[in-house]
Amino acid sequence: MLLHRRWLVLGVAGSLLGGLFAFQRGFRNFGEEMDNPAPFPADGNEKTEFAFARLRYPSLRGGYYGRGSWATDYNKADRQFVQGVRRLTRIHTRSVEQVVDINSDDIYNWPWIYAVEVGHWELSDPQAARLRDYLLRGGFLMADDFHGTLEWDIFLSSMQRVFPDRPIVELENKDPIFHVLYDLDERFQVPGIQYWYNGQIWERDGVEPRWRGIYDDKGRLLVALCHNMDLGDAWEWADHPRYPERYASLAYRVGINYIIYAMTH
Amino acid sequence: MVEFLFKYSPTVFAKGDFVLLGSWSPWLLAAIIAGGVAGLGWAIRRSVRGETLAARGWRPWAIWLLQAALFSLVLALLWQPAIRISTLKPQQNIIAVLVDNSRSMAIVEDGSTRLQRATAALKGGLQADLSRKFQVRLYRMGEALERIEKPEELVANGRATRIGEALRQVTAEASGLPIGAVVLLSDGGDNSGGIDLETISEIRARRIPVHTVGYGREQAARDIEVTDVQMPARALADSRLQAQVSFRHRGFSRQKAKLTLREGAKVLASREITLGPEGAQQMEALPFNAGLAGARTLHVSVDPVAGEENAQNNQVARLVNVEPGKPRVLYVEGEPRWEFKFIRRAVEDDRSIHLTTMLRTTQNKVYRQGIGNPKELEEGFPGGFEELFAYQGLVIGSVEASYFTPGQQELIRQFVDRRGGGVLFLAGRSALAEGGVGKSPLAELLPVSLPDRKGSFHRERVSVELTGAGRDSLLCRLVEDPARNAERWKKLPPVADYQEIGSPKPGAVVLAEALPGGRTRLPLLVTQNYGRGRVGVLATGGSWRWQMVQALDDKTHEMFWQQMLRWLVTGAPGAVHGTTPRLVMFDDGRLRLAADVREKNYQPMADARVEARIVGPEGISAVVEMTPDALVQGRFEGEWMAEKPGSYAVEILARRGEQEVGRDVLTFQRQDGVAENFRTEQNRELLEKLASQTGGRYWNPGELGRLSREISYSEAGITVQETRDLWNMPAVFLLAVLLRAAEWLLRRRWGAV
Repeated sequence: MLLHRRWLVLGVAGSLLGGLFAFQRGFRNFGEEMDNPAPFPADGNEKTEFAFARLRYPSLRGGYYGRGSWATDYNKADRQFVQGVRRLTRIHTRSVEQVVDINSDDIYNWPWIYAVEVGHWELSDPQAARLRDYLLRGGFLMADDFHGTLEWDIFLSSMQRVFPDRPIVELENKDPIFHVLYDLDERFQVPGIQYWYNGQIWERDGVEPRWRGIYDDKGRLLVALCHNMDLGDAWEWADHPRYPERYASLAYRVGINYIIYAMTH
Repeated sequence: MVEFLFKYSPTVFAKGDFVLLGSWSPWLLAAIIAGGVAGLGWAIRRSVRGETLAARGWRPWAIWLLQAALFSLVLALLWQPAIRISTLKPQQNIIAVLVDNSRSMAIVEDGSTRLQRATAALKGGLQADLSRKFQVRLYRMGEALERIEKPEELVANGRATRIGEALRQVTAEASGLPIGAVVLLSDGGDNSGGIDLETISEIRARRIPVHTVGYGREQAARDIEVTDVQMPARALADSRLQAQVSFRHRGFSRQKAKLTLREGAKVLASREITLGPEGAQQMEALPFNAGLAGARTLHVSVDPVAGEENAQNNQVARLVNVEPGKPRVLYVEGEPRWEFKFIRRAVEDDRSIHLTTMLRTTQNKVYRQGIGNPKELEEGFPGGFEELFAYQGLVIGSVEASYFTPGQQELIRQFVDRRGGGVLFLAGRSALAEGGVGKSPLAELLPVSLPDRKGSFHRERVSVELTGAGRDSLLCRLVEDPARNAERWKKLPPVADYQEIGSPKPGAVVLAEALPGGRTRLPLLVTQNYGRGRVGVLATGGSWRWQMVQALDDKTHEMFWQQMLRWLVTGAPGAVHGTTPRLVMFDDGRLRLAADVREKNYQPMADARVEARIVGPEGISAVVEMTPDALVQGRFEGEWMAEKPGSYAVEILARRGEQEVGRDVLTFQRQDGVAENFRTEQNRELLEKLASQTGGRYWNPGELGRLSREISYSEAGITVQETRDLWNMPAVFLLAVLLRAAEWLLRRRWGAV
């Protein structure tokens, strides 16, 4: 019995130390919540200027745990996308993503953040307040992979708690975000993985791709919304021969432009 | 007593030349003395032979010394020693008596004014004594020197005292008149900044002794006086400035007082101070915001304390030209990073800085922001003087030295050295030692000697603390109070990264340090002047955390970067840069202007035509043609007299042919009747110095009875050489008797030798 107790103490201590160590390194593996795990690269612990920060938020379909909607495409999409960022730009980018919890002040250390499936999120008032504070201090949110009217409404109900008085507007072609690196005047709908199965580009009633955003008082984009499209899937499956290159290519270019915009405006 | 013993006054000995009137050669005297002294020595030695000298010790030689001294004295008298001295010929010389007629002479001390005491001295015998031997010319001295007939014409109403100018005028008169000496009755309160060397040299050349008579207390009982206020003559709009206020006091040690800076009735800054030791110069800093563009007249004061004798000397005025221009800063960044974004944001609202940026987003693309036209920086980093010198400041981020061609590296050096711009190097994975800057010509610019190795850049958070110099520096001032400011820095969130930048070079100033691990201290912010410009190194690329990690309404990050970029461009001159030694002139309208005129590549331009257009109060306007300085190429000078008190604006315009090279605007002010309120204590030091440098003497009013006699010893005017015997001085006789008596006494005491 005594022996068992010792093992229990050692086990708990080991878990605590291991968890602590994981936080110390800046990278935390949410293994149990992964949608599509990718291998951990050899340079995954490198300290870099930029890391693909994925927002971990509570969603309507079951909170954080289990596999919440925040973890869609996680973490293959993230790691595959940053390979492009590393290859195509001079941004010193970490090869692995950073999961950032909406409840944590750690969010302020990652001034660019990606939120997926925001048509399923549900932010509490304190979470909305933290996100508002984050964005107004200089953070940038890219929201992706939400489709149709229903998901838009769900997204909106939380977003309006973040910015009750800031309108969501259609981004014009001339906006610097579409020119900061690549000129993206010719944009088109980027489909998700369903395109393999049914050849359909859109999901639900989200037929038209919507490039939208929220500006601050000085005309700088705080939030960029990729509504009725799924850039995350395009990053995730860019290496698959069945996923068309033109969609993957645009998804990479849009993602890179959004990052560089966030690092320049 | 001294005069009885030596027959003549000490002045005679000080001023006269010692001579021997005897016809025999002084060498013969020396030879005889040497022989005689040696003979005496031989005789003494002989007389003690047979007895051991050792037993006698030093005593025979003491006797010998006394005998030798007496022998030498008697022998020297045979050569007829005398003093040769120049004295003024009676009734043929003029004595100029200058009486301070300024308002400070009206100060009442012990029941009478300084002037009343000076007038009483003149009437009470001084003027009459002098008149017996000389012609006396009486002058009153204020803003100008005026001749008067009688002391009753002195009224102590002069708005300024210019001792130097008065003496220059007297000296000029001396070239046509036999002026034998000058007597100056004054409190020494000169308002023209002292007596210049030229005037002193002129007086010395004419050998006119100036005898000064000091009036007024040398120390006030209870007074605070602002002695100086230093602040920049030019500033950018909204920039943070600092007035360095020097003052001293009598009678208020350890009391509290209030330092205030006003513009008109509006208080711009104020703080409580504790007055230090009595009589010592105390210096306090008062930071304030320059505000909007325009010429600002600021009054800095130590608010009067109850019981002060003179409250008029508690305040001084200064002029600051807050310039309307928006200096341009170019920020070149080698990689997208958060520091870049947040620096841009921090200075976005700064009305006095225009930030242009170029960022290498990919290997082949540069993203430009804040450009004035599509062509600006189209070809990348400027490759020519004209393009780079259009900026006043340059920030170099995480950029390898090799990104710049050798020509561009030299251009950057010239940008600081010749153009007078400022360069700030930031840390980064490609910056400084990591980017090979230490082995490039840019290393010469740096205020630090970079480490000769890689691995100097660390992506680890570090806390930052100010050094002593940083606490004093406005650049690092986030909170007005220096102590609270230092605490504020300690509480700032750690920066995201830091870089080892080696050791500071001599002359560099370390303002802030990084504390990796909380123990080691590494220089984080280091600055130095280089040529006409300035250079700084900020060894982090992670100050963006001050913005992201602190509350939304915290302005630390914005404030730091706005101050940083303003520091970078402050003082970067344009193609035409005008200066004047004094922006506020007290009771003196003589304006001296200088303008440095430069080509587009900032080489001095010698063939420009430069004029100053002056506009002043009551519709005054004038154009002054400025002439080239013979010694400094590209410098032009001009003088003008501002006759009326008030504010003036000067526009300096340089042209080459019909083409305008550039222009600059200055403002200055003439204030009358203010300076006399300051330094009201007797400036004895100045009076003593003046007297000693000209061969005269400083006199207390109580000892003026001897002045008329001593004033005769002068080499100016019409003089006669007098030779005065010394052999018959009582002191000589006394000395001879003493020597003999001493020998006799010693012999008696020790027995016959």
